Amino acid sequence: MRGLSWTPLIKASMERDKRLWRIVLLTPPLLVFSVLIVGPLLSSFYYSFTNWNGFSSSYQFVGLSNFQKIWTDRLFFQATVNTIIWMVSALLLPTLLGLVLALLLDSKVRGGKFFKTIFYLPICLSAIVVGQIWIWIYQPNWGLLNTLIEEITGERFRYAWLAKPDSALFSVIVAWSWQQTGLSMVIYLAGLTAIPSEILESSASEGATTWQRIWYIIIPLLIPSTVVVIALSVINSLKGFDILYIMTGGGPFNSSDTLAMHMYNESFKKYLIGYGSSISVVLFVIALIIIGIYFRQLRKFDQIYGQ
Amino acid sequence: MFGYKKNNDSGIHSWPVVIFIILLILSILFLAPTFGVLLSSVKTTRDIALGELWKIPNELYFGNYVEVLSNPAVGQYFVNTLLVTVPATFASIVLGSLAGYVFAKLPFRGSEILFLILVSGMFFPPQVILIPLFRLFNSLGLIDTLWPIFLVHTALGIPICSLLMRNFFSTIPAEVREAAILDGANEWQILTRIALPLSLSALAVLATLQFTWIWNDFLWPLIFTQSDEKRTIMIGIVNLRGQYTVAWGVQGALSLIASLPTILIFLFFQRYFIKGMTMGAVKG
Amino acid sequence: MKYINRRKLLGTLFALPFIGLTTSALAQSEVTISHYFTGELGLKAFGEQMEKFEAATSYKMKNSPVGHEDFKTDILVRASGSSLPDVFSYWAGARVQFIADSDSLKPIDQMWNEAGLDQIVAKTVADSATMYNGKRFLVPFNYHYSGMFYNTKVMADAGITKMPTDWNGFLALCKELQSKGITPIALGSKNRWPAQFWFDYLLLRSAGPDYRAQLMAGKASYDDPQVKQAMGMWKALVDAGYFVENANANTWTDASDQVARGDAAMTLMGTWITGYWNGLGLVPGADYDFFPFPSIMAGVPSASVGPVDGLVIGANTTNPKGAEEFLKFMVSDTGVQAAWSKAQGALSANVNVDASNYNSVMLKAFETVKNSDAFAFNYDLATPPPVAEVGLSMFARFMDDPSGVDEIMKQTAQDAAGAFNE
Repeated sequence: MRGLSWTPLIKASMERDKRLWRIVLLTPPLLVFSVLIVGPLLSSFYYSFTNWNGFSSSYQFVGLSNFQKIWTDRLFFQATVNTIIWMVSALLLPTLLGLVLALLLDSKVRGGKFFKTIFYLPICLSAIVVGQIWIWIYQPNWGLLNTLIEEITGERFRYAWLAKPDSALFSVIVAWSWQQTGLSMVIYLAGLTAIPSEILESSASEGATTWQRIWYIIIPLLIPSTVVVIALSVINSLKGFDILYIMTGGGPFNSSDTLAMHMYNESFKKYLIGYGSSISVVLFVIALIIIGIYFRQLRKFDQIYGQ
Repeated sequence: MFGYKKNNDSGIHSWPVVIFIILLILSILFLAPTFGVLLSSVKTTRDIALGELWKIPNELYFGNYVEVLSNPAVGQYFVNTLLVTVPATFASIVLGSLAGYVFAKLPFRGSEILFLILVSGMFFPPQVILIPLFRLFNSLGLIDTLWPIFLVHTALGIPICSLLMRNFFSTIPAEVREAAILDGANEWQILTRIALPLSLSALAVLATLQFTWIWNDFLWPLIFTQSDEKRTIMIGIVNLRGQYTVAWGVQGALSLIASLPTILIFLFFQRYFIKGMTMGAVKG
Repeated sequence: MKYINRRKLLGTLFALPFIGLTTSALAQSEVTISHYFTGELGLKAFGEQMEKFEAATSYKMKNSPVGHEDFKTDILVRASGSSLPDVFSYWAGARVQFIADSDSLKPIDQMWNEAGLDQIVAKTVADSATMYNGKRFLVPFNYHYSGMFYNTKVMADAGITKMPTDWNGFLALCKELQSKGITPIALGSKNRWPAQFWFDYLLLRSAGPDYRAQLMAGKASYDDPQVKQAMGMWKALVDAGYFVENANANTWTDASDQVARGDAAMTLMGTWITGYWNGLGLVPGADYDFFPFPSIMAGVPSASVGPVDGLVIGANTTNPKGAEEFLKFMVSDTGVQAAWSKAQGALSANVNVDASNYNSVMLKAFETVKNSDAFAFNYDLATPPPVAEVGLSMFARFMDDPSGVDEIMKQTAQDAAGAFNE
């Protein structure tokens, strides 16, 4: 195909067609996106320069004072640290576990469909019920976790997982990962189906061991899926709100706040819409930086692995 | 597939058993919380409040289910949720496919940055645009209808759908598209007759995920609907929380019933995850 | 755009006035309401009261209940879009003050005077709950009283016959219970707010309602000696082991369950606990009772603490007449008030409601409030929302580790001062 020489005229008309199609195909999604997402986002950023409390019909411009306030807000820094912890955990826990599960399930083991459903089930539950059931797991006096620990060790164990500042955040992350793993698994499974069986069979007949097959063929070919999985996990962790809201509300005393929760508290509990919006701006900028770095890395990957 | 052979001395044919056992253990661990929800649905609120949740019941209490199923509002909630979820799932996937195709097959100068901006739409907690969106729909008189929920979910789904579809479309070799053009096809035909059919597994994944996310969401229905006839099932669950107490048993029952559609959707689309669907194009 | 049919355009223009007329006619007879009385009992009971109103008048109610916590978000969002409902429920005190200051509410002085509500609403509640910036904005729908609710059997088994009326008596009671192996006090501060009653009463009984009002208004500081003293007393209780362990891990219902089961003796809670306990099958008087928080210093006025749930009217209501009728009916109709307070385990602010409507425990609460010198709103309704957040977190931090109390109070004073400056 590559050897053919297109005459300049044909090339030009092809370019024109391309341009036309770009416009036709991109306009609907971009339009919807701009009106419903970008517009409101900009609107929200605008509030960050005011001291609006949501109820008054009037407010004043306060310039950058909201942003200055962020500097001295100790809760903000706690929230930032927590958000980073959540992101890192998101990169490790559900991603790796999802990959392992997908690899295990792809092997046509008996009852594969049954297992798949069990691991995917948590996603089908709403955050309300997932949060609540994990509260009941972590309950210090009769919760499942402490009951099991007491059975195993034979000693009284009444640790309050969600009420102690040291363990609250991580307890929620575990619950969230439980739900998120099924998502990674599903995406990896879809990615695995895109790997041609011929490649695997031919490598097997050439004497490659299972581990070699996994490491040198499957995992590299799962890069596109990993891209998506990591993107989703990190993004969901940045947003990680519903389940945190149900389980701790950012508590005990703000120790499990994430940036999203902190923004919510400031805007909707303290009625400081202006300040809450400024937190959103910072959150968004951090996210953009991460996304930029991520895509830069991706381009490097593309260069190494081709395609 | 690992491609284990039948006669291999490295003992690989014991793999299936080991894998099965590992999966069994993991699934029991995974199932525990879901099992807890099931338990809560067949116990009385009082039993749960008194700390009896994790004890295996001697008798099952079905009153919670009776209460849920006999409540006429629940049926309406289901219909509303369906009316919002199915169209929004469909619309976001369609729009995402359009965008994904352009970014994958028809890139242009600046398309990387545009793609970045699009994807960045996933990057903030929805509470950020809560108030601006409410004001927008309020000025359009759409509050207390199902339209805002549908529109917002469609818009919020575009980034992830574009990301996924672009990824899958980019695995289709350029030769395929060029061959089609030589045959006289235009971009639309390439998208609909070649690219999409090849991406069925991606579409299936998206459909499942989008449906689940939209179905389980309670933020937008909370803000955009007010009267009972317009509420969705998640608001029904949230409203079981009283000012001072929560009807645990009923919440458990309603939650399980509410998760049936998402489970069914997954079971339905599952078969598209099997291998072989995307084969063919790679060989030309 | 070229195809605007002239006939259609004329037709629409013609019809517009009629549409306007019919919608305004509809608006005349419809009142929109949003409230936070959800949950099985609340929803049903409130629906019934609304039906009574609809039966008595020609108005139709458009109902929009929202769960408690989400209600706060929902009302804020609606306010931001200038689309508050005609009527909505709200917590009297600093929260109403906050939105009244933002001109989000419609004053109801005229309706109040015409309906003679001065004679109908109990004075203690009326003064503090309904008047803001010199105008009336709220009618009290119900109120609750916070007292020391205890398990009668546990007390009897421990040989306690008389409930303490002063601080020393209270300490003796706790010591007695502890020696018998019973945890004296249950507290479920997972959602932070249950702990506030301790702060409220300790401060009220030692420093007095006037000082507390200053603190709530930002005119006093959280590291004042008065606050230190109150916190010191609280710390003494925790250090002595009188509270259950892991208070922060339990919700208030968990704590109530502990008392109901006999694992703890008493809990400082609002009268809604009676609704909860009755639902568990406990019998008021026989299984549970309460005593008022003991006095700490002689001469300090006795105050009762509790929230008042009220009904208010949105400033840009499209049906002011209907809204006012609704408020009037809900507070003055004794049938509504009696049924509602019974369903909620609450007290009615309507003086005409017959005392026989209350069970023995509620009656006692009613009398206690009547005889107290002042009625104060609990902490998170007495101080502006940003400050309330600071205080509530402080209570949780304190219960987690009281040994750091000095550091905690210093931080709180700082945070509160900052919050007041918003």
